[in-house]
Amino acid sequence: MRVGRVGRVGVVRAPIAKTAVVAAAVKPGPAPIAKTAVVAAAVTPGRRRRI
Amino acid sequence: MTDAALDELGPVDFVIVEFPAGHTNFTGEMAEELLKLVDSGIIRLIDVLILTKDENGDIDAVELEDLEDLGELERLEADLAELLAEEDVVNLAAAMEPGSVAGVLVYENLWAAPFAAAARRAGGQLIADGRIPIQAIIASLEADAELETVGD
Repeated sequence: MRVGRVGRVGVVRAPIAKTAVVAAAVKPGPAPIAKTAVVAAAVTPGRRRRI
Repeated sequence: MTDAALDELGPVDFVIVEFPAGHTNFTGEMAEELLKLVDSGIIRLIDVLILTKDENGDIDAVELEDLEDLGELERLEADLAELLAEEDVVNLAAAMEPGSVAGVLVYENLWAAPFAAAARRAGGQLIADGRIPIQAIIASLEADAELETVGD
């Protein structure tokens, strides 16, 4: 690490929590593929909100 | 940076991509795609660090320039700014599993800059932003499906 990085105030304000691993939802296999299709449908242009 | 330049600055994001021990398959494809994003003006790469976290939880940060055989990435390296501080390295590495390696990218979303600047000129202020995880979309859809089943 460069010396210039040491002792400075950071821009990432707090320890980062690990997010759920996205790859788990799109891994090859029957169920994940189905989920991928469902998600794709959910973000398809023209889909209307249900309230 | 002048006020005018700051006004034209796009949103700045970071991502950490973790490579668990024994699950790496570097073919150069990632570097190619990163270069495409930069070359097409979609993003401006601001900072890059490679973090390692050993089994004891000790962290090490490696600069891009310290890597051997950077290839095409070498031309990006010259334009990087040293934005991340040591303090950031500790905060970012908190998300990593012991024994893993991670790449940290900090980048300006150039694609969003003109809209953001226009919004500011119109008197708008960004009051929140965020990312919707795919898992949250799946959970929402599953909850919808569950409700439909109950309604039958």
